Amino acid sequence: MTVSLTIENLSAHYGTTQVLKDLSISVAAGELVSLLGSSGCGKTTTLRIVAGFLQPTAGRVRLGDRDLTTLPAHARDIGLVFQNYALFPHLTVLDNVAFGLKQRTIAKPDRVKRAMAMLERVGLAPLADRLPSALSGGQKQRVALARALVIEPPLLMFDEPLSNLDAKLRIDMRVEIRQLQRANGTTSLYVTHDQEEAFSISDRVAIMNAGRILQLDTPEMLYRKPANAFVARFVGFENLIRMKVTGRDGAVVTAEAIGGTKLHLSQDVFGAIKDDFVLASRADGLTVRRDGEGIPATLGTRTYLGRAYQYKCQTAAGEITANGALSDPLEAGTRAMLTPVPEQCCILDPED
Amino acid sequence: MPTRIHPVLGAFAALVFLFLLAPLVIIIGASLSDTTYLTFPPQGLSLRWFANIFQIEAFRRTAITSLQVAFLGTGLSLLIGIPAAYALNRYRVELPRWLSTLFVLPILVPEIVFGFSLLKSITIAAGLPVFPSLILGHALLVLPYSVRVVGASLASFDFSIEEAAMSLGCPPLKTFMTVVLPNIQAGVIAAFILAFITSINDVSVSVFLTGPGISTLPIQILAHMEQFFDPTIASVSVLLMLVTVGVMAIVEATLGLTFLTK
Amino acid sequence: MTKLAKWGLPLPATIAVTVLLIIPVTLTIATTFGEAKGAFSTYAAFFNSGFRRAVLWRTLEVALITTALSLVIGFITAYVIAQMPGRLKSIMIIAAVFPLLTGVVVRSFAWLIILGKNGIINDTLMSIGIINEPLSMLYTEGSVIVAMVYLFVPLMILTLTGVLEGIPRDLIEASASLGARPIPTFFQVILPLATPGLIVGAVLVFTGSFTSYATPQLLGGEKQMMMGTFLYQRAMVTFDWVGASTVAAIMVVITIAVVSIMSRIARRLNPMAV
Repeated sequence: MTVSLTIENLSAHYGTTQVLKDLSISVAAGELVSLLGSSGCGKTTTLRIVAGFLQPTAGRVRLGDRDLTTLPAHARDIGLVFQNYALFPHLTVLDNVAFGLKQRTIAKPDRVKRAMAMLERVGLAPLADRLPSALSGGQKQRVALARALVIEPPLLMFDEPLSNLDAKLRIDMRVEIRQLQRANGTTSLYVTHDQEEAFSISDRVAIMNAGRILQLDTPEMLYRKPANAFVARFVGFENLIRMKVTGRDGAVVTAEAIGGTKLHLSQDVFGAIKDDFVLASRADGLTVRRDGEGIPATLGTRTYLGRAYQYKCQTAAGEITANGALSDPLEAGTRAMLTPVPEQCCILDPED
Repeated sequence: MPTRIHPVLGAFAALVFLFLLAPLVIIIGASLSDTTYLTFPPQGLSLRWFANIFQIEAFRRTAITSLQVAFLGTGLSLLIGIPAAYALNRYRVELPRWLSTLFVLPILVPEIVFGFSLLKSITIAAGLPVFPSLILGHALLVLPYSVRVVGASLASFDFSIEEAAMSLGCPPLKTFMTVVLPNIQAGVIAAFILAFITSINDVSVSVFLTGPGISTLPIQILAHMEQFFDPTIASVSVLLMLVTVGVMAIVEATLGLTFLTK
Repeated sequence: MTKLAKWGLPLPATIAVTVLLIIPVTLTIATTFGEAKGAFSTYAAFFNSGFRRAVLWRTLEVALITTALSLVIGFITAYVIAQMPGRLKSIMIIAAVFPLLTGVVVRSFAWLIILGKNGIINDTLMSIGIINEPLSMLYTEGSVIVAMVYLFVPLMILTLTGVLEGIPRDLIEASASLGARPIPTFFQVILPLATPGLIVGAVLVFTGSFTSYATPQLLGGEKQMMMGTFLYQRAMVTFDWVGASTVAAIMVVITIAVVSIMSRIARRLNPMAV
């Protein structure tokens, strides 16, 4: 039984500070959605409200056709994987996994059988009699996962589950989490501050800031087509250049930025371009050339990236990072032009 | 911890606090009574029993002795306890385990046994006068506080700071005074306060080590109670409580009182 | 240099403990075996005397009851304190610390005023006519126990508040998220995790009340002689030093046995370690 999670118009306050502002999001049945943002953005608050550890000041939480909003945490039937694993230190691995079944008054033989089966699935059956203190970080996280899954919850939630693991283990574990989640088809909400983790594990990602969701989309779309400047910066568009349209000729728009920059941009590539916009790109979205159309720049420090050279450039619009061809290394101080690569750039509304 | 508390539990806790604080309120009330016997609620209000304390020379004398013993005993215990705590933390792996157990012994051995044994060996067999015996006894009684509480703050001290200071040319003793000590200040203050309070309230050890002409305040109170049951004792108790209030104010100002639950 | 510091710094304290504590206490215990009538004759005398056996049993009984009551009262109170919001929590801790820092004599004395013949309870009961004659509540086992519980509850509260606060909130949330109601969470998560702390608190209270002197002296008197007061009486009133030393030796053995056995159990039970 897979059900959808619906969060409607959630607001939350700590004292007088509002930490969630009218936040809505829905997770389709069987889907894994991540809440991604830096600390203090409200992602953990959202998760804690859904879990029932915090009360929202407004809004509703629905799981399928059940309204969870006022239900106590123990009655919500949500599998939760904690950042610090939160394994019961006084219980063996098996008893930890069987804990939720025990609360559901499932007879002992049955719950041992089911807990063992779940431990088999995460590859920890041989460690069933150990105490958590005798496990490695990765093993603890597997136990935590097994404990959350064994109660067959309609919703799984993860609170930065991998942040205490080392880099290699983190990658292995996220593959494992993804496989288990897919296999069970459990609707999941995943909280993290790690962009790579969120993108690799999720069907969709919600990028959050200051208690709001700024964009909810597939990882591919977020990476290529950020909807606003904040998301663009978050996914690595480091060069944001404010431009104004000075002429239109069919699909081609002529735009200028301060310092004599003049570019011709095609609305066939970028979609409709408003009179006032921001051109956003990563370093590889601007090519360093000796001449041609582009943004005039003075080159600064050059770094070798393997596939290209990267330059810190001074322009009238501020410091910009751009890549140049390996075949033509340029010295610091050289005057050059930075030419946009249309497929690698995007057009955004100005901030504020 | 979970959030809501069952009202029955809350009411129980409220009764416990009533149980804890009411007797102290009763003492304060009794100390203000105008009667010659102890009673509560006080009948008539008067400070005469506070004045009476100062009329009884024995209270004045023993109070001074108690303060002297507490200061000197606590000071002595810190003087030998801090270096021990330092060594136990600095050379944790190299020093034998029994050494840290050794400094807890004064807590482990019943105080009354310790007091009795001190009387037999130090005062009687070795012939040490009463006053120094008291100081030594109290110093040892509170030594565990010096070692453990100072040790606890040294446990979180990063000894590489000390190595940094020495590598910059600071000699060891100066390093200790200028780098280590300021960082464990809270522990030293806490140790001093706990030790001082323990010493000034001690009965079990002092009861054996008081002699002709020299006694401590708690022992004097006990002796006074055997003969008189008037509000003087309540007044002395109130004064002692005021000392406690003063100490708590110092703790709150320097460390914060929640320090004491750690 | 390092070697000198390593052994030199703890040396004064080591000497002090050895000279002032270990040797004197050892000598005290040693004198009990030096009797002409045989090495264990003083112990035989102790356990053959009905009065002395009664003192020992009474002391154990009072200490055990005090420990049990302090555990229950302290644990419930600490549980409430641990869940209070910050400000109220500090006030409650201060209220618990204050009696703790007030001396034993002062705190025992309060119960003399409350329980005495002309004390508050008798006065109140007589004035509302429930009784005509004052009850004798002082110098009973009950009066000693009440005062001892009063003495040790703050210590228990402080110890257990620390223990309960040390239980990560995660674990309680994990328990709730797995479907455990508050009461199962209490019995299956909080209580087992607090048990080592409960044992530590119990040991503190047991040894403290077993070896106490001032409280049984004031509230038990001659009638309710306990080990501490009996030791004092033997030593300072009848000058029977060997008898006093025997009492001392029994107290030391029982205290150290209880402490070492219980702390071993606590350590074995401690799941938070490692």
